[in-house]
Amino acid sequence: MKLTGPLERVLRVMTADPSAPHYGYDLMKAAKLPSGTLYPMLARLQQDGLVDSEWEAQREDAGGRPPRKYYRLTAEGLRVARLELAQAAASAPARQAGYGATRPAPGSTR
Amino acid sequence: MSRAPLIQRIAERLIRAACRRLPADVRAEHCREWAAELPAILDDQSVRPRLRRALRALSFCAGISRTTRQLSRSARAGARSTRNSRWRTGALPYQSPNVAVRAILGFFIWLGIVLGFITLTRERPNLHSWQLMLILALAVGFDAFCLVDIARAARVRYLPKWAWVLICLIQTPGGGIAYLSIGHIGRPRPVPPGDVKP
Repeated sequence: MKLTGPLERVLRVMTADPSAPHYGYDLMKAAKLPSGTLYPMLARLQQDGLVDSEWEAQREDAGGRPPRKYYRLTAEGLRVARLELAQAAASAPARQAGYGATRPAPGSTR
Repeated sequence: MSRAPLIQRIAERLIRAACRRLPADVRAEHCREWAAELPAILDDQSVRPRLRRALRALSFCAGISRTTRQLSRSARAGARSTRNSRWRTGALPYQSPNVAVRAILGFFIWLGIVLGFITLTRERPNLHSWQLMLILALAVGFDAFCLVDIARAARVRYLPKWAWVLICLIQTPGGGIAYLSIGHIGRPRPVPPGDVKP
C-alpha cells in the first residue's frame, strides 16, 4: 500500500474514531475528496481487506431514505492505517511536533 | 413527497448509466449504494443555496463515472496485460503521456502530413501513378492499422468504438491520428515494484 495524500486523509478520518461507520458522502466531506477519488480508493481498500462495508438496516425514522452503505476499518485495516500514518509522520521532514509525534493524535490535522 | 426532485432523478439516471460499465455481479449493489448518497447531498443544509447542492450532486455523478471507468479497467487489466505482453516484453514500463500532450503531438503530425501532401501536389502536378499508388497504399495501411487497433482494444476513450471507426475512415489520416492520440488507451500502468500488499 502506498500512502498517497488522499489516502492519508481518508485514513485519518477513519482512524479518528475507528468504530464509527462512515458512508460515502460523509467521507467525501470529511476528507475533502471528490467521489471519483474516494470510491476507487474504498474499493481497493475493501479488496485488500482493510475496510469492511455493511448495508444500513431499513429504518422507520429515515423518512423514506434508501438504506446507505457504511464503511468501517477492519482490525487489520486499523493496524495498517495507524502504522502508515505513523510512518508518514515520522518521515515528514522537520515538523515541529515534539515527542509523541510518531502516532498522530486522533483527529489531528496538518 | 410522491416523486423525487428532478435533479435527483437526473443524477440517478447518470449513476445508472455509469454503472453499466461495471461487471454484472457488482453492478446493482454499487448502483444502489451511490443512488443512496444522493439524498444526503441534496439535503445537505451546510451547502447553500440549493443550486450549489444540485451542482454538487452532478459533480458526484461525474466522479462516479470516473470510478466505474477505473473499476472496470482494473477488472479487465489482468486479461489485457497478458494479451499485450507478447508485444512489449522486458521493456521498461511505458507510461503514456497525458491526453493533452498526445492531442497536440497528433495535431502536429497531422499538420505535417497535410502540408507535405499539399507541397507535393503543388510542386509536381502530374504524379506518376505508382506514386499515387504508394500514397494510397500508405493511407489504406494506416487505416487498417487503426481499425485493427480499435478492434483489439478492450476499451477506447471518449467515444464508442463505432464512432472512432467512422472517424478513422472518413478523415484519412487525420481521423486515425486523432484516434491514436486521443482515443487510444495504452497498456494499463504496471504496479510499481514498491507496492507491497499488506
